[in-house]
Amino acid sequence: MKRILPLFIILGLVCLWGAPAVAITPEAKQKVVTAASKNLIEIGLSYRGDQIHFFGVNPAPGTDLIIKLTAEKDEEIKFSVKGKVGPFWMTVKQYDVTGAPFMYKIHASKPIKEIVSEATAQELELGYPAIRHKMKMHLSRGDAAPEDADKVFQGMLKIKERANLYNIVEDPARLQVEEGKLFKHYFRFPPAATEGRYQVESFCFQKGQLVGYGKDIIEIKKVGLESWLTETSQNQPVFFGIMAVLIAMGAGLLVGVIFRKGGHH
Amino acid sequence: MEIYLPIAGMSINFFLILGIGGVVGFLSGLFGVGGGFLLTPLMMMIGIPPAVAAASDSNQIVAAASSGAFAHWRLGNVDFKMGLVILAGGIFGGTIGVQLVKVLRAAGNFEFVMKVVYVLMLGLVGGAMFMESLRTILRSRKQDPGAEGTTVSEHKLGKLFAKMPLKMNFHRSGLHTSAIFPFSIGTIVGIMAALLGVGGGFIMVPAMIYIIGMPTIAAIGTDLFQIVLTSANVTLQQAMVNKTVDLLLALILLFGSTIGAQFGAIAGKRLKGEQIRILLAIIVLALTVKLFLDLVITPSDLVSLAPAKGGGH
Repeated sequence: MKRILPLFIILGLVCLWGAPAVAITPEAKQKVVTAASKNLIEIGLSYRGDQIHFFGVNPAPGTDLIIKLTAEKDEEIKFSVKGKVGPFWMTVKQYDVTGAPFMYKIHASKPIKEIVSEATAQELELGYPAIRHKMKMHLSRGDAAPEDADKVFQGMLKIKERANLYNIVEDPARLQVEEGKLFKHYFRFPPAATEGRYQVESFCFQKGQLVGYGKDIIEIKKVGLESWLTETSQNQPVFFGIMAVLIAMGAGLLVGVIFRKGGHH
Repeated sequence: MEIYLPIAGMSINFFLILGIGGVVGFLSGLFGVGGGFLLTPLMMMIGIPPAVAAASDSNQIVAAASSGAFAHWRLGNVDFKMGLVILAGGIFGGTIGVQLVKVLRAAGNFEFVMKVVYVLMLGLVGGAMFMESLRTILRSRKQDPGAEGTTVSEHKLGKLFAKMPLKMNFHRSGLHTSAIFPFSIGTIVGIMAALLGVGGGFIMVPAMIYIIGMPTIAAIGTDLFQIVLTSANVTLQQAMVNKTVDLLLALILLFGSTIGAQFGAIAGKRLKGEQIRILLAIIVLALTVKLFLDLVITPSDLVSLAPAKGGGH
């Protein structure tokens, strides 16, 4: 063992030295000062999504900006793929997908590929190709086919974009930069954005190099009745079930009594 | 006005749900059926996840049926003994049904099975009702005096079951028959109640009248009594196993359907029985066609989200 250990160390050093590029650590870059109009979204009875404005200061005038909104946790999702069985359309296979963010939105001051190289985009997870690269698919039922990976990825994008959980806007009009310095924009959080922590990262690039980085955390949580109903149904299902039945019976009897008094029978 | 449904995890127009509840309530007041079989597909059409739609409808049915059952109990129309035997079957079937939902959800084909069962059942019931009411309407046009008061002949199955063991006396219904039959009917209806989120009255009542041979009014009263308890069991099981009961959704539906039912009952008094039945048959058949087309037309999305393990978000 004593002989092998130095060998491992040397081997490790060689590997490090031989690595194609040194990893980019955004946190080590100059801090971009940012602010959000609020950091907490509460889901109440009349919740229908929310909108948060973000402001920031460019470290150097004229830099390119990419701002990314993601859920802190990646999501594990199951996708059903439909196929024709006889005359009917039904689920023929299922894929477990990991590594795809629950929510993913990007605002860029111009098209991402004009700002950064493919390798940097992949490393910082900017753009759909980077998501595709990071995402892992595992067939849990049915027979795999070579075109499945693409089909599932496109299907996922369609579902996510329709729910307004994913979108990419590469338009300076959407990401305003005042006098090359102060930038402002807003993200819309759709009702489908569930409880959890979300991060908004601002990346500033100069000639394809990351020069500044800022981060805001947004938290979404249910409050009041919404929170109580969800908590109770998930954590005390027996109590919740009995309560649901009793409330329904009570409401039914009450209605019966009210309408009898109205002279219905 | 938008309202956020906590278990369905979506924001939806309050008046849309209230309106759907109202329309279904109106129809159930008009036709004297539970309406659960219309409610679940309608909920699915507006985007409520199928499992949440079925479970929440069961919860709503508890409320709707309990007000009817209470009225019939006061009028002495409930055969408790018969009701309890059916109920035993219903609880047995409901428990199987909920486990079935769990397995099907995991396999990703819950929606498919649900729609197939709906198409078969609604097609059968709608078709039979359409033919029967059309015949009655045509006959009354001809004014055939011999057609008045169709005599309920005892069904062959009824005779067969009268010979089976486990005989019981059902005083309120004036019957002496085997308990196996009401039990197995209860089981089948219980499975469907879980699978489809229906009360099952539209199958149970005809079966009790034509096959078991109960008096019509006792059949309706007893059916409502057992529906309260069967759907209470399904609601409880769904809450425990699948965690898909959206109480908020159920309460809004209930509110809409009670108001609608009152107007439906008033409208019902202005129409003849066979006119009401043919109308109901047309609605049921239209729904059948819609659901059938969903199964055979190429879906717009070949890839769809499958429910996560352990229930709804």
